[in-house]
Amino acid sequence: MIPFRYNLRSILARKATTAATAFGIALVVFVLASALMLSAGIKKTLGASGRADNAIVMRTGSDAELNSSFDTTSVGLVLAAPGVKRDDKGAPIGVGEVVLVLALEKLGDPGITNVFLRGVPETALAFRPSARVVSGRAPRPGSDEVLVGKRLRGRFKGFEVGQSFELRKNRSVSVVGILEDEGSSYESEVWADVDTVRTGLGREGLVSSVRARLESPAKFDAFKASVESDKNLGFEVTRETTFLEKQSEGVSIFVTALGSVIAFFFSIGAMIGAMITMYGSIASRQREIGTLRALGFPRWQILVAFLLECSVLSLFGGALGAAAAIAMRFVSFSMINFTSWSEIVFTFEPTPAILLMSLMFALAMGVFGGLLPAIRAARVSPIQAMR
Amino acid sequence: MSESTMVRVRGLSKIYERGGEQLKVLSGLDLDLAEGTFEALMGPSGSGKSTLLNIIAGLDRPSSGTVEVKGEDISRLSESALATWRSRTLGFIFQSYNLMPVLTALENVELPLLLTKLGGAERKKRAEIALRIVGLEQRMDHYPRQLSGGQEQRVAIARAIVNDPAIIVADEPTGDLDRQSADDILTLLEKLAKDMNKTILMVTHDPVAADRATKVHRLDKGALSS
Ligand SMILES: Nc1ncnc2c1ncn2[C@@H]1O[C@H](COP(=O)(O)OP(=O)(O)OP(=O)(O)O)[C@@H](O)[C@H]1O
Ligand SMILES: [Mg+2]
Repeated sequence: MIPFRYNLRSILARKATTAATAFGIALVVFVLASALMLSAGIKKTLGASGRADNAIVMRTGSDAELNSSFDTTSVGLVLAAPGVKRDDKGAPIGVGEVVLVLALEKLGDPGITNVFLRGVPETALAFRPSARVVSGRAPRPGSDEVLVGKRLRGRFKGFEVGQSFELRKNRSVSVVGILEDEGSSYESEVWADVDTVRTGLGREGLVSSVRARLESPAKFDAFKASVESDKNLGFEVTRETTFLEKQSEGVSIFVTALGSVIAFFFSIGAMIGAMITMYGSIASRQREIGTLRALGFPRWQILVAFLLECSVLSLFGGALGAAAAIAMRFVSFSMINFTSWSEIVFTFEPTPAILLMSLMFALAMGVFGGLLPAIRAARVSPIQAMR
Repeated sequence: MSESTMVRVRGLSKIYERGGEQLKVLSGLDLDLAEGTFEALMGPSGSGKSTLLNIIAGLDRPSSGTVEVKGEDISRLSESALATWRSRTLGFIFQSYNLMPVLTALENVELPLLLTKLGGAERKKRAEIALRIVGLEQRMDHYPRQLSGGQEQRVAIARAIVNDPAIIVADEPTGDLDRQSADDILTLLEKLAKDMNKTILMVTHDPVAADRATKVHRLDKGALSS
C-alpha cells in the first residue's frame, strides 16, 4: 500500500489550503454538533426531574401544568388511590402544587419576560430529593419567603438572596435561597409557599397538578386506572418521565431540525471546498502520482490513498469543529418555552454519541468531497512520470 | 555473463493521432537488448526516444509490433497486469528524479517494496542496502529538498534497484546534472550492469554520457541505426 504518511505529510505540507479547507468543514461540524448538543441540553433540562415512580395528575386535556386547574379537595382523593407510597407515619407521599407565570422585568436589557412560579407545600423539597437549597436557606412554611432557581439568579430584578420582588402590585416576596436540581427545569422556576401564591394571585382553593410517589414504577397502571375511573373528576394520569419527555419533544426536535438543515446546506459548500482543494492538490502532483503508477502501484491504491487524504483533511476540520462545540458548554442559552411562554435557560450538552456523530459527518463529507478528485488521481497515466 | 536477449522489439510502430492528423513517430523498428548490457539511445529532439523507452518499459502501448521481455509479450498484458509486471521487472530513473518530496530518502527507496509481501524490517534492510550501494547511507533520513541534484538522482537509482529488477530504464538521467555529478551517476550505472547484471537502457543527448555505454543506438525518422 501507499504509505499513509505520504498523504498525511502532503496535507501538512500545504498549510494554507489545508487550514482553509479544514476551517470550512469545522464550521459545518460546529453548527451540527452545537444544535445536537443544545437539543440534548433541552432534553436534559426538561427531562431531568422526571422519575419513573412519580405519577403526575392533571385536568384531562391539559398538556401542561399551566393549563390545568382543579379543586384542592381532590388532592386527598388522588393520594388515597391504590399504589401511592406512604411515609413512616402512614401519610401518602405526594404534592399538590399551583403553577403560574409571572411577568417580570429583566435585568440588563429592557423588557418583560415570563417566569414560571410554582406554589409548593412544605414537603416539596423532601418530595424531590435531588432538589436542594445551595445558597441561603429554605423558606419558612406559610411565609412570604421564596426560592429562586439557580439559572434565573441575577437575571431579573430582585433575584438575589436577601432581595425582594413583587408577585403583583404591593405584594412583595423576599428571596431567601437559591434552588439547584441537577440542571432540571426547576432551576428556571421560582418556588413560593402554595398559600401565598393562592391568596396573592387569586387562586384560592385551586391546584394545577398533583405529583404522587408510587410504591414502585409497576404500580402506575393500577394508580392510573383508579384515579381516572371517576369521569366526573376528569383527571388524566401520566408518568412523570413521559410527561417531561413530551414537554421537551417539540423544542428539541425543532432545534435538531433547524441545526441539521443549516448544517446540510453548509456542508455542500464545505464539500465543494474540499473537492476544489483536492483537485488543486492532485493537479500539482501529476508527476508524483504518475511516478507511483510507473513504480507499479495499481489505480485502486491511488484511489484509496487520495480518498484517505481527503478524509483525514476533513477529520482535522471535524475535530476542530467538535472542539469548538464542546467549548459551547460554558455558554447558556435562554429560550422561551412554547408551552408556557416562560423563560427557560438551557445549556449545551456534549455527549460522546454527538461527538462521534459529528466526526462521522466530517468523514462522510471527506469521502464524498474527495471521491471525484480521487478518481481523477487514479486515472493519471504513468507516462505523466516522464513529463 | 550470459549473452541471452533480455528485450526483443520487433516491427514496432507508434502513431499518435492529433486533431485527425496522424503522426508516425516509430515505424516498424527492431531492437535487441542483451542481458547485463548498458546501452544508450540517442537521437534528435522529437525523434521518439522517450516514446520507445516508455513502450519498452510498459508505460505506453505500441500501435503495432511486439515487445518481448524474457520471452513474454508485454503488449498483451492487461493494464493492471502490466503494473504488476513493472513493479517486478523494471527500475525507473527519471530526468528530474521524481522523488516524493514528503518522504525521506529511505522511505522513497522503500516505496517499490510496498508492493511486495516483505515485512517492515526486511523492507528497511533492503532499502538501506540499496542506499549503501549508491553511497548515501549517511543521508537516509534526509528529505529530497535537503539533498543536491546528484544525491537525489542517486536516491532515485537506489529506488530503481531495490526490488532487484532485471531492467533499468533511464530517460536523460544526467540531463539536469553538472559534469561531476553526471559522471558519478554514469559510473554507478556502469557498475550496475557489470556487477549486478542489470540490463540498462538510457536515453541521452550527451555524447560523453553515451560513450560510457556498451552500445549506442541512434534513432532518426522513426528508425534505428547503430
Ligand atoms: N501523447 C502524445 N500525443 C501526441 N504526440 C505525442 C505524444 N507524445 C509524444 N508525441 C510526439 O511524438 C514525438 C516524439 O516524442 P518523444 O517525447 O518520444 O521525443 P524525444 O525523442 O524523447 O524528444 P526529446 O529529446 O525532446 O525528449 C514528438 O513529436 C512528440 O510531439
Ligand atoms: Mg524525451
